[in-house]
Amino acid sequence: MAARPWWRIGWRNLGRNRRRSLITIAALAVGYFSVVLLVGWWDGVVVEMINNGTGILSGQLQVHSAAYLPDRNVYETIGGPDGTDVTAIIAGVTADPAVEGAAPRVYGGGLVSFGNATTAAAFLGIDPELEPRVSRLMDALSSGRPPARGTNEILVGVEMARILGVEPGAEVVVVAPAVDGSLGNDLFVVSGVFTSGLADLDRTFALLPIDALQALMVLDPGRVHEIAAAVPDPWDAPAAATRLHSALGATDGALAVESWTDLRPELVEYAQLSQSFQWVLLVIVFGMAIFGVANTMLMATFERRHEFALLLALGAAPRGIVWSVVVEAIALGAIGLLVGAAVTGPVLVWWHNAPPDLSWLVGDFTMAGALVRPVLRVEYPWSMAVQSALALFATAALAALYPAMRAARVPPADTLSGR
Amino acid sequence: MACGGCDYWEVDVYPIAVRVSRVSWLRRLAPYALLTLVLFLLPSQLSAQTDAREIVDRVDRLLRGRSSRGTMRMDVVTAHWSRSMQMRIWSLGTEYALIRLLAPPKDAGTATLKSGEDMWNYLPRVDRTIKLPASLMGASWMGSHFTNDDLVKESRIIEDYDIEIGYEGARNGVEVWEFVLTPKPEAAVVWGRIEEQVRQGDLMPVWARYYDDRGELARSITFEDFRSMGGRLVPARMVIRPADKPTESTTITYLDLEFDIALDASFFSLRRLQSDRGSD
Repeated sequence: MAARPWWRIGWRNLGRNRRRSLITIAALAVGYFSVVLLVGWWDGVVVEMINNGTGILSGQLQVHSAAYLPDRNVYETIGGPDGTDVTAIIAGVTADPAVEGAAPRVYGGGLVSFGNATTAAAFLGIDPELEPRVSRLMDALSSGRPPARGTNEILVGVEMARILGVEPGAEVVVVAPAVDGSLGNDLFVVSGVFTSGLADLDRTFALLPIDALQALMVLDPGRVHEIAAAVPDPWDAPAAATRLHSALGATDGALAVESWTDLRPELVEYAQLSQSFQWVLLVIVFGMAIFGVANTMLMATFERRHEFALLLALGAAPRGIVWSVVVEAIALGAIGLLVGAAVTGPVLVWWHNAPPDLSWLVGDFTMAGALVRPVLRVEYPWSMAVQSALALFATAALAALYPAMRAARVPPADTLSGR
Repeated sequence: MACGGCDYWEVDVYPIAVRVSRVSWLRRLAPYALLTLVLFLLPSQLSAQTDAREIVDRVDRLLRGRSSRGTMRMDVVTAHWSRSMQMRIWSLGTEYALIRLLAPPKDAGTATLKSGEDMWNYLPRVDRTIKLPASLMGASWMGSHFTNDDLVKESRIIEDYDIEIGYEGARNGVEVWEFVLTPKPEAAVVWGRIEEQVRQGDLMPVWARYYDDRGELARSITFEDFRSMGGRLVPARMVIRPADKPTESTTITYLDLEFDIALDASFFSLRRLQSDRGSD
């Protein structure tokens, strides 16, 4: 007997007990929906975490003098004591297709003082025009505005502002040891206050126009510590770093080009951990579904044992009976997948574009040192959607195998005679 | 070690007391023997501690006087820059000090005031005074290899450390003491141990070595060019070298020094910090 009639038999059997078929289809569809949506949510949390961990300040890619990290020695500027053509390097970095923008930075340390209050600070000299393309720190202003180039203005964190008791417009003393050994000091006007949500940043960081910090630290305009770059898809950054390494002529060992995966390995580990968690989720959900489908199929085959006995008595091959039951299960799976995908797809699109915001419920929290907003934005989990579909079919087929084999072994004579 | 004499009680006196008590005819005498022993041993141990403390204190006071005024040059050599600064200093006891930079011109007028545990910096360029927060006490002072803490806490060495004589005898033909200073358990200090060598003949310090919590040498100071200034024999030059950067150093050279001049606490005011009028 050819396979075709078994397909038809399997398919038509779905309609024999519609309620049971619908319940099974619903179970598979809900399983698919749950796995894909949960994984999408989790991917969303990981991407949010990576974006916050890298996007608030560090950027996804950085260029330094090879000796600069990990100590952040202020003397180790790009190109050594003579500096470099900063504009050329920025142009080179921005030329990479994965890079969206790049900005130069100078780092320093020292004191900020206002009245009787003095606090230690980490100074970040930034180009006010280029910096917003790389980091979002200057977007997170709770008052005032970013510092302007060519002025002695300073943007401080909210906690530092509280410690010093300053508001925008206040005149503070900034002291920073200069690279010539002198004690750089000058008056700066607080242009604004930022709230990043990260305690360390809000307490110790202050942003100054890069030219003002260079003047304070007696650094020539060509001397910068870092070129930070934004790579919109964070997972493209390692490859971009490798490309830039040769494009910028860093092969002589003087320059280091590092992606966030080098700078923030704990974020990578967290992303990997969450990926293994996705597999656990897949196994648990479809493991449960297997038993549900198997139960349905066992019931269905038990009810039809007379029919199977008759077919066998008429000379049907047991393999054909197995085939008809498996086809029935696969058809269940196919419909389940269609229904599941039909429900999951729109929800994914919806929550990708307009994610439900639970900030009112739980507030912001930090994870692996990165700020995470409790916004349930989903990422499109393409690979997991395919893997779940395959898992769904495998579940349906595996769950049908045992009932099918039992059906094929029905003793025809005993069953037909009612014994 | 909080109690210098206590060790003797536990280690030495007790076995002797046990031995004594076994001998019956000595039993009645035993309390007196013990008492004598204690009276004999305890003060000698205490006095060893006191002597060491006294010597270190005397060395300290010898160099400082009741009050002092002077001019010094500070040469700082680092891997990235070298600079020479000239400064005027005033001090009263261990509590007060005022240091004002005379050169280089860019930094002239910059001044540091120490009053007790507090420290202020005056910055003439912006005409502002900054009180240094406690968190910055470990930071470098004026870019040198001295920390702010060195200026503030130096006076407390006698109070914060237990002082013992680690070696007494000749080194290179000169009779010296070598003191070992260990921080008292309750003392909030940065060093795990300090060693200091002092010449017995004239109480001149030869070197001091500072060890961190793990017992590793962090920096050393050598004292050189002993000469008479302001009527006292003093080391006119001190060289400090960080152990982890052997090519770097800070050298302080006294150009002139006067001791026991007329100064009182009111001299060390924030107003004086900001203006050097009439301060000489």
